[in-house]
Amino acid sequence: MLDNTVFSVLSAVAVGSGVMVFRFDSMARATYALLLSLLCVGGLLVLLGLDYLGVVIVLMMTVEMAVMGVFMVMYMMNPAGLMPMSILHNRKGAAVVCAVVFLLMALGIVLAPWPRRAGTADEDPTKALGESLMGPQMLTMMTLGFALFSTIVATVLLATHRGRYDRLGDDLRARRADDPVPGGVGR
Amino acid sequence: MAEAAPLWAVPVLPVALCLGAVAAAAFDAVVGGGSGRPGAGVLAAASAPLREGLRLLAQQRRTTPSADTALGRVGLGLVPVAAVLAAAVVPWGFVQVADPAVGIVWFNAMEVLAWAAVWLAGWGPNSVLSLIGGYRFLAQGLAYELPHMFALTTAGLGAESLRVSEVVGAQQGLWFAVWMPAAFAVYLLSAVAMSFWGPFGYPLGGDVAGGAVAEYSGVDRLLLLGGRWLLLTATAAFSVPLFLGGGRGPLLPGWGWTLLKTAAVLAVLILARRMLPVLRAERYMEFAWMVLVPLTLVQALFVAVVVLNR
Amino acid sequence: MDLIGALPRLAARRPPVLLVTMPGATRERLAVEAELTGRGWPSAPGPAAAAGLVVAGRAGGAQWLGDLWNGMPRPRAYVAVAHAGDAPHALDLLGRLLSSGREGDAPRAVSAGAPRGAPGQGGGDGPDHHPGAPGSGARETPGDEDGRSGRGGQEGRDGRGQARGQGRGQGQGRKQGRALGLGLGQGRGQGQGQGQGHGGHRGGVAGLPMAGRADDRDGLRLDRLHLPLGPALADWPAGLVLDVALQGDVLQSAEAHPWEAAPAGRYPFWGEPWLRAAGGEAVTRGAAERRRCASHLDSVGRFLAVSGWPRPAARARRLRDRLLQGAAAGELAPEVLRLTRGVARSRTLRWLTRGLGELPAGRARELGVTGPALAADGDVHARLRVWLGEIERSVHGMDDPRALTGVDGPRGRLDGPRPPSRLLLAALLPLLPGAEFACARLILASFDPDPDEFAGAGHG
Repeated sequence: MLDNTVFSVLSAVAVGSGVMVFRFDSMARATYALLLSLLCVGGLLVLLGLDYLGVVIVLMMTVEMAVMGVFMVMYMMNPAGLMPMSILHNRKGAAVVCAVVFLLMALGIVLAPWPRRAGTADEDPTKALGESLMGPQMLTMMTLGFALFSTIVATVLLATHRGRYDRLGDDLRARRADDPVPGGVGR
Repeated sequence: MAEAAPLWAVPVLPVALCLGAVAAAAFDAVVGGGSGRPGAGVLAAASAPLREGLRLLAQQRRTTPSADTALGRVGLGLVPVAAVLAAAVVPWGFVQVADPAVGIVWFNAMEVLAWAAVWLAGWGPNSVLSLIGGYRFLAQGLAYELPHMFALTTAGLGAESLRVSEVVGAQQGLWFAVWMPAAFAVYLLSAVAMSFWGPFGYPLGGDVAGGAVAEYSGVDRLLLLGGRWLLLTATAAFSVPLFLGGGRGPLLPGWGWTLLKTAAVLAVLILARRMLPVLRAERYMEFAWMVLVPLTLVQALFVAVVVLNR
Repeated sequence: MDLIGALPRLAARRPPVLLVTMPGATRERLAVEAELTGRGWPSAPGPAAAAGLVVAGRAGGAQWLGDLWNGMPRPRAYVAVAHAGDAPHALDLLGRLLSSGREGDAPRAVSAGAPRGAPGQGGGDGPDHHPGAPGSGARETPGDEDGRSGRGGQEGRDGRGQARGQGRGQGQGRKQGRALGLGLGQGRGQGQGQGQGHGGHRGGVAGLPMAGRADDRDGLRLDRLHLPLGPALADWPAGLVLDVALQGDVLQSAEAHPWEAAPAGRYPFWGEPWLRAAGGEAVTRGAAERRRCASHLDSVGRFLAVSGWPRPAARARRLRDRLLQGAAAGELAPEVLRLTRGVARSRTLRWLTRGLGELPAGRARELGVTGPALAADGDVHARLRVWLGEIERSVHGMDDPRALTGVDGPRGRLDGPRPPSRLLLAALLPLLPGAEFACARLILASFDPDPDEFAGAGHG
């Protein structure tokens, strides 16, 4: 009973704030509405007994949404969202894409031949998750992690305005890096 | 999920945390953390935070033009709430409000929530200096959070569990602070940073006329400034089960040791604050990434090797 | 128990005070600061934190002062300190006002009732918009420029070059915005003029022009916000107003706004002994050294406050007050030395201030800068060290009875064509672009130009 109530409340808030993301005319509000929605999803996972995943979602999504705030300030030094704005662009196209994706997913849920449950849930889902990730899937995960990390590094390298040769000289021997604002270690 | 805790502990928790925060603020006022206070007696200084709190309660709230008041107030309210939620997993020595299997992650998630809330509070009033205050904290977040997370992880690694009570249990013989000193030091440093207090009071710095709190008066101001003390108290209290053996100790009961150790950590932090100017973002960030992150990683590696060979 | 009745009295016991110094009122500022320290009243960094507004000097008709007052939450009270001797009496009055729930003779209740910022009015061209451009004819007080202060932001990537901020102005808003725009950056930058509109959406930024985008130092095109800094910022040279452009918290440009002239007929407080001696009056070297020592302690106190180290800052200010009250040199010397050595030894402070605001001696000489900034030949920390060194030297020379002959004031030679503080300001402004807000504050504080001296020559 209690679980059902919590589930309903959390899902209602999650969907409601998800809708509000597109209704708000301020980027800050939209970002934090999305955060609220994701926090509720984290709560739902906790409700399912996946404590670790749920709390990690809360942690990571908060960080992610806050980092979006950094960009918001960079591109739009607009405290309190003075200028009303809409994040809806290309409404028709977006509506079509949304509808198609929704239909596909709903069809998938309804039509997929779901297997029957085999076995019982693990005592410690966190441990089970860790073992399933780090056990048989270890190689996959490590490859994936490496690929992701090198993508990040490569993107930063391509995008950066000033590389290490600009900072430390052509032979990389400068004692202190030449930065617009000097940092705390000088590297 | 959380184990059953006596229900009376739930309402007691915020009260206890507030009392702790007031005591910490009073101690800070007595040792002159803010600035000098000649002519004022110890009692007058100690009661200053309380009087200031009452004064703020009676003060008019202030609004700024074209402010996003709703968003700002969400941010203001979230700081103390997150502090109390974080404190929920701190064991008191004889009882614990909640002891979820992922207590350490929960604590960190709540700290991060407070971090995001400070930015909201700075964004809300539609004021440049207040925005700069919030922005500073936000931009600094990863430099604070990554070493913090690794330090927390190291403690969890040492106990082979994320459950706070098991971390306490794992310190039967030896406190974690003794054999993972780097993690403990980084925890203290980044805990203060996540509470944006003292040497890390940069988001609320005097150079931006109070930063995120610059445009708030009355209850609003109290929520943010008080929330900061709550966060600091909660993080100091959490260092006890993580690194200082929890309520373990001779003679005194568990709660006595917990209280004593928490007070000692807070006192060390408050006294250390007087030695340092505010650590500015661009200096600390490079230090965090180039020194603290590798340091905590090496510490975690060391602990992992020890645990594997146990 | 009359709790409601007790609260005002409680609030009046140690009210946080926002001290605003008018140009030329250094003597009054010091008197008020000494009095505040003696009573243990905290000083507020801005109007929101304050219960009392204390104006040092003659308030005159400065509009921004009235706006600052309007931005203060109740209960609040106002007093002015026109003469240094009035400080104790004025603060007594402030306490009485607060405990009785009265507000005092508030600064000109500007703009009360004036229709302003009516919806739909063009951005920045409101009824009382002062064409704030320098040299626009009207006598400018630093406060006047807030008429054009507007802030904006635009997020439209799909529409630009529309009207400057279509109005959705709010009367109350304008009023407050301007006060804080000056003192506290109420989120209104002054519009660029070419504010980019926003296609397809209902525009409007509180009736004020919007900020435009501009390149930043990393080659990105980001929002740029213009705003005036000062004159009511805490730990800020009294009366100085800088017009700055911000991207994030990085200063992209900074120029000095025309300042309000200090009242004529008064020597600038810190340069007084040297100017008097130059004017033919008999001044001892000891008295001049005492003034130099106090001046540097004032600067060091301000610098430490800006760098967020309140304890030694308060100590420096207490020592300064005691010096000016005439405490014996022998009695103060050990304490002064303890302070200067403690600050000079701090590795953290050196780590934090190293490499900021480099001004090589060659460049300083070119600009005509003399005094500590020339002697330092380096960054913010080098200038701090020069101050500390001079404090240590002058604390030993305070009993010298010989007549003063030199003209080397605390901020440089006072016999040049332009007052030293003007030269300092000219030297420091080019160092600000590209610095982060906190660094810019430190750079400014490490030069610590004294606007009282500005009036000495040139315009103002």
